[in-house]
Amino acid sequence: MISLRGVSLVYPNGVRAIDNVTLEIAKGDFVFLVGDSGTGKSSLLRLLYREARSSTGEIVVDGIRVDRLRRNRIPALRRHLGVVFQDFKLLVDKTVWENVAFAMQVTGAHTRDVMRQVPRVLDLVGLSHRSRMYPGELSGGEQQRTAIARALVNNPKILLCDEPTGNLDPANTSEITTLLQRINLKGTTVVVATHNQAVVDRMRRRVVRLVDGRVTTDEERGYYYLGLGQGQVLSG
Amino acid sequence: MDSGKVKFFLGEVLRNFSRNAGMQVTAIGTVAITIVLLGLFLFIRSALAFAGSQLLDQIAISAYLRADATPAQVAAIARFVARDPRVASMQFVPKKEGLAELRARTNGAIDTALLTENPLPDKFRIKARDPGDVAAIAATVRRLTGVDNVVYGQKIVQRLLQLGAVLRRIGIGVIVVFFAVAGIIISNTIRLTVFARRREIAIMQLVGATNTYIRLPFICEGLLDGVIGALLAVALLAAARAALWPRLLEALPWARLTVVPIDERVLAAELLLVGAAIGLVASWISVGRHLRA
Repeated sequence: MISLRGVSLVYPNGVRAIDNVTLEIAKGDFVFLVGDSGTGKSSLLRLLYREARSSTGEIVVDGIRVDRLRRNRIPALRRHLGVVFQDFKLLVDKTVWENVAFAMQVTGAHTRDVMRQVPRVLDLVGLSHRSRMYPGELSGGEQQRTAIARALVNNPKILLCDEPTGNLDPANTSEITTLLQRINLKGTTVVVATHNQAVVDRMRRRVVRLVDGRVTTDEERGYYYLGLGQGQVLSG
Repeated sequence: MDSGKVKFFLGEVLRNFSRNAGMQVTAIGTVAITIVLLGLFLFIRSALAFAGSQLLDQIAISAYLRADATPAQVAAIARFVARDPRVASMQFVPKKEGLAELRARTNGAIDTALLTENPLPDKFRIKARDPGDVAAIAATVRRLTGVDNVVYGQKIVQRLLQLGAVLRRIGIGVIVVFFAVAGIIISNTIRLTVFARRREIAIMQLVGATNTYIRLPFICEGLLDGVIGALLAVALLAAARAALWPRLLEALPWARLTVVPIDERVLAAELLLVGAAIGLVASWISVGRHLRA
């Protein structure tokens, strides 16, 4: 589903954000990208939805050669992906329903499909009863669920999450984590960049660790810290 | 077409439009001023061109013949001039007629009865097809045997041609400046809207809206500025014409004769098109520049 071969990303200021990364993510996988701030987790995701363009290497997402993609084909790529951010990126002057519908409307969907699909995803994220409320009236977890509903409304095969729980308290965090797991169970490939130890350690899924833009470890059922079990903390 | 889609799209355009109403008013006002100027210019130009062509039409070349020119020489001159393709008409005016004309033109101020002898020579009155050829024809005719002197309104012809050219240049200059100003103001208005909506735009790009789709509301906004401005201008011009035209005719009765009638509906349609074009081009450029993503 996602394949990177020898991918590097050097920003114009000379910073090497991603350094020769090779990574395979199969259909239906659930993958955590972990690492300290500034190790390239976000950069790696940005490469996948072509917010950034790789300097070298080959990137294939859902059969699309992202590294060679022409600018006018980027919208087509993004319709195969859902992306969720730490700051939700909701429109504050639109209701929950309108925020989710917006993602369909701006890609030219038929009203008929919007009317059918929006209630379906709102139900999936458990926000049917909040559909007429504005983001300012929601909790952080509900706002993030709205963002997830928006990311899913176009039926993407892949969901990319960049620190989805970064702004949330533990209760809301576990709510979002559970939701991501449910989405994954329905067959969507999920990639989550996070530095939330609790989330990673509780889920025990595949963990790809980045250090200075390089993949240092890739474990099938990993913990947040290398070689440590749940509840253990590195000293210092 | 899906009516829900249309409603959503129009809603977006109207939201854009009302978001910075102050700028929209400025943009629309500038377009209106530009188009009023353009309308006035077109009107004045056609009036001037018409009056000018009438004046120039009246300018004839007078080729005075030598007193000792033989009938054969006169006939040769007539044949030669008649063959010239630049000549529209030619008329032989014997000195007797010339005197009668002079008397009529001066309203009797010159008492020709006092003259013991007719001092006027015979002449040819020649009219050119194109006023621009008058000087060249005069020069040709002057060289013919039997021709004493050639007179035409040299100064008037040159002045009229020059004046027309200068006025046209000034008018075009002013209008070009106003077009540029209107374009810049519209594109700034669009830029403000783009800025105000950068979150929406980022999200649209994220979920895979095509560039065309993202740009269309902004282009429509510019188009709306242009068309509303032009409508305002056309209304102003029509009102001004209705109010001022009767008074102008009163003050300058000859205006009715010297101003060529223009088809006002065609002019209004053209001005509207121009307004739409300003809005379209300005917003197109602005959006292209500020949505590079």
